[in-house]
Amino acid sequence: MDTKKIDNIISLSNDLRWQIGDEFHDNLAEGIYADAAEIVKDSVHKKDEKGAIRIDAKIDKIITSKVWGFPLMFLILALVLWMTIVGANYPSAMLSGLLLDTVHPALKGFAATMGMPWWLDGFLINGVYLAVAWVIAVMLPPMAIFFPLFTLLEDFGYLPRVAFNLDHLFKLSGAHGKQALTMSMGFGCNAAGIVATRIIDSPRERLIAIITNNFSLCNGRWPTQILIATIFVGALVPATYSGILSLAAVIGVAVLGMVFMFLVSWGLSKTVLKGEVSTFNLELPPYRPPRFWKTIYTSLIDRTLIVLWRAIVFAAPAGAVIWLISNIYFGDSSVAAWLIDSLDGFGFLLGLNGVILVAYIVAIPANEIVIPTILMLTVLVTGISGGAGAGVMFELDSVTATGDILRAGGWTLLTAVNLMLFSLLHNPCSTTIYTIYKETKSVKWTVVASILPVIIGFVVTFLVAQIWRLSA
Amino acid sequence: MEVKPKSACEACPQFNADGLKKLGVNTTDFDFVVALAGNPNTGKSTVFNAMTGLRQHTGNWPGKTVTRAEGAFEYNGDKFKLLDLPGTYSLLSTSEDEEVARNFILFGKPSVTVIVVDASRLERNLNLVLQILEITSKAVLCLNLMDEAERNNLEIDTRTLARDLGIPVVPTSARYNRGIPELIQTISELANGKIVCKPHRIKNIPQNIEQALEKLSTEIEQVYPDIPNSRWIALRLLEGDRNIIETLKTGEFV
Amino acid sequence: MNTYNPITALVVFFALSILAYLLFRPNKGWFWLIRNNSGSNDKIVIEDVLKLLYHNENADKHLNINDIIRTLKYNDRLILEGINKMSDHKLISIQGDNVKLTKSGIDYALRIVRAHRLWEKFLAEKTGFKEAEWHERAERKEHELSKVETDILASKLGNPQFDPHGDPIPTNTGKIAKIKGTPVSELSVGTIGRIVHIKDKPEIIYKQILAENIHIGSLIRIVEKTPARIEFHSEGEAFILAPIMAGNITVSVLEKDVVYEEDLARLSILKENETAQIIGISKEIRGDSRRRLLDLGFVRGAEVKIDLMNPLGDPKAFLIKGTSIALRQNQASKILIKKD
Repeated sequence: MDTKKIDNIISLSNDLRWQIGDEFHDNLAEGIYADAAEIVKDSVHKKDEKGAIRIDAKIDKIITSKVWGFPLMFLILALVLWMTIVGANYPSAMLSGLLLDTVHPALKGFAATMGMPWWLDGFLINGVYLAVAWVIAVMLPPMAIFFPLFTLLEDFGYLPRVAFNLDHLFKLSGAHGKQALTMSMGFGCNAAGIVATRIIDSPRERLIAIITNNFSLCNGRWPTQILIATIFVGALVPATYSGILSLAAVIGVAVLGMVFMFLVSWGLSKTVLKGEVSTFNLELPPYRPPRFWKTIYTSLIDRTLIVLWRAIVFAAPAGAVIWLISNIYFGDSSVAAWLIDSLDGFGFLLGLNGVILVAYIVAIPANEIVIPTILMLTVLVTGISGGAGAGVMFELDSVTATGDILRAGGWTLLTAVNLMLFSLLHNPCSTTIYTIYKETKSVKWTVVASILPVIIGFVVTFLVAQIWRLSA
Repeated sequence: MEVKPKSACEACPQFNADGLKKLGVNTTDFDFVVALAGNPNTGKSTVFNAMTGLRQHTGNWPGKTVTRAEGAFEYNGDKFKLLDLPGTYSLLSTSEDEEVARNFILFGKPSVTVIVVDASRLERNLNLVLQILEITSKAVLCLNLMDEAERNNLEIDTRTLARDLGIPVVPTSARYNRGIPELIQTISELANGKIVCKPHRIKNIPQNIEQALEKLSTEIEQVYPDIPNSRWIALRLLEGDRNIIETLKTGEFV
Repeated sequence: MNTYNPITALVVFFALSILAYLLFRPNKGWFWLIRNNSGSNDKIVIEDVLKLLYHNENADKHLNINDIIRTLKYNDRLILEGINKMSDHKLISIQGDNVKLTKSGIDYALRIVRAHRLWEKFLAEKTGFKEAEWHERAERKEHELSKVETDILASKLGNPQFDPHGDPIPTNTGKIAKIKGTPVSELSVGTIGRIVHIKDKPEIIYKQILAENIHIGSLIRIVEKTPARIEFHSEGEAFILAPIMAGNITVSVLEKDVVYEEDLARLSILKENETAQIIGISKEIRGDSRRRLLDLGFVRGAEVKIDLMNPLGDPKAFLIKGTSIALRQNQASKILIKKD
């Protein structure tokens, strides 16, 4: 190896670069395209001017038109969400019937015949198994519906048009049009939404999209919103209107999430992310009819199962922790009771209570188990009858019975409203946090993305609680 | 330079259907490495899936394959490992995807590089093709989405195209599995040295750049006489590519 | 538990918010101020004095100690201490009243100038900070970069020759290119030239020039010249400047055979159903975004037309080389076209 010669080459290249000047890249790109044009002239012939492109153009004209563009977009999003929420009810009920009402007692019976000690049985079956079962029952059906639908729209070529239509709004908040997609994807699952931000080619806009994805109300949180809205908000008006009002409340929370997404994007791009490069260019690919079954299969494998697997990995230890804190005692009270007691004051300040805060701490791994945990802990601290014992999460088939337990736990309309707000505005679940770290490879941004929403959540619930109490 | 007949099919005498095994993700003990490059939205992942029997998600969406996917197939006793590179418009920029693709084709020295292009947008796709042909001479052009091109009334003379580019051209419609056997056959012939390419080199480069490239590549060839792509190395040196400068010092690409 | 008063809680909350705002608000927050002030040490003073001397000696002006104290915004004692230290280290020689740079002083000053201009280049190519912010940021960064870091930065940027204002960047061996050109104020009517340099000082004038959207690399043609104003056309627009502004813009005069396109327009004004040819991308799009546009096919000679309008007006999708690419208005306005 001749080091001196190589040094010569490098310094020669430096000199030559100086001589060529800064038009180098422009000229090169032009040169290559000129070659390409010559080759194409030789070998490609268009038979006649009329082509099938017209259908594409017609679809595009409607999809991006001033009149139809936006209504069509909201209609499709509403349809997808409706199909997800309504369609998931039945399989969810089946799964929870199977996993919680059949397999769980069977496992308990099996443990009893094996002569398993109560603590091992409790830890494994009531803790780990129940948490995993819950996550599967609540999470799998909606994801198995939402992601294939989303993927079909994506493969057809509709989603790039959505980004195109909405880009101006995102530009105003300093973000990228493609964030519209990662945001909608977040309605399914924030972790999947964050993986999807890879399509944003500009680093600054990508970070904004990652940090604000948590403001999309994900599948794990929709059931909480719907349940609490039905019990507390729906009860405010006569029964005929209660369905509509509680639905409006849930949609209101989701829309509020979008408002926060825009506000936080704007704030970030004005402060900490000010100096990052931003580029925007978006290819609008031709429409291609998706291959239905193949798409469904691949999206199940690629998105649903991977996300579900990660959620289970995180949920299992959470179940163990929930069982442990309710069954390990310091003096007279369990760890859970002690935690609830010490967080009660802070919770009250936020218009929430200690039970909710503890539930949110232990449910960081999976938002699906928030409601079962709250019910279990409420029964634990109030001592009312119900439930299945310390550390055993449960849910009730009847909405009224759930409401009764919560009211016995001291819940008011304020608690319900603030729980809905806090469910929207709190730290992402641990699957999402892990995904954020994997995608950004930065501890700093992972921390920001995790802490920022929970701070906003504290501030918002605090302000609502104070104003509520002042006006009451 | 031999040009593949374009009307071959699964049953044609050249293609040995029994010799093909799709191996999915089992990529151990391969004989050849095949890289799959191409613009976003050209159905590159569909080609990948058709060849390996895998079902990687293919989005109608640029920049989908951000991470590199691997798969394998066996043909006539040779095991081929297939690498799906990120879809890029070019190899000249500094983005992460392009760096991955560029470095793999240059330093990974794949036995064959399959360049997937959208037949109805050939001119735009050739930008990348011509860049790749500066780096490697073992390449095959996969003229994909032929069905769309036909619908758009485009007629592509694959013989002329193959002659102009100096590499074999295989028309395909990967969605319907059309042309994939011919593609595999061509890859195998290229890998085994039965086809030798004389790839097109970019002509329309302004004179001052061309002279600079010539000066530099002569110098490079003096140090590394066997290097096939000294012009590309020179191009990257002019661009100030730090990766190239480092490897020039260590001589890793020889 | 229920004995608290919501108003007290709100008051405490707002007091804390205001305190946090005062501490951490961008740039002027107390926390940042305290952190920045502690960094102002004699190294920075010395380097600023060196730079000042270097720039003045380049213009054949020699300064005495009083001039230095008057020009730099540090307190007198710091500057005097700095000058003593510099003289001890043989960076300057003091002859009578005049302060002169020694050979090692010039080398040191060149290093700082190199770091400054490279950092401006970096900000222009790799970040999204506004042009008006570059100088101030580079003023701070130049003191932080070591020689090795500067060299790494240079090679990352491809060892550029000029900074984004058109000022030459010294090489690591201290070579520095000369700007060859004439100020716009001295050109005669009809001259065609390319802008090679825009002075970034004084700042008021620089910001005015930026506000006019004039940038390096543009071709200009002088169409009118009076003692009060100079008018030139560039990239399809007419610019009228006062001589004091025109004097801060340097152009290199081009040979007569350069074709100057009078009917240039910007892609942003293209209407539906019109077709046009791309003439080029304005120099204001730099670095990665420029390359990306070139790769997407926005090269000289390419045919372009509008493919899709947007319900909100922006962005628009342009059909280029068979593909529909959406660009925002502010990018499209930097692509030059000639309508068919």
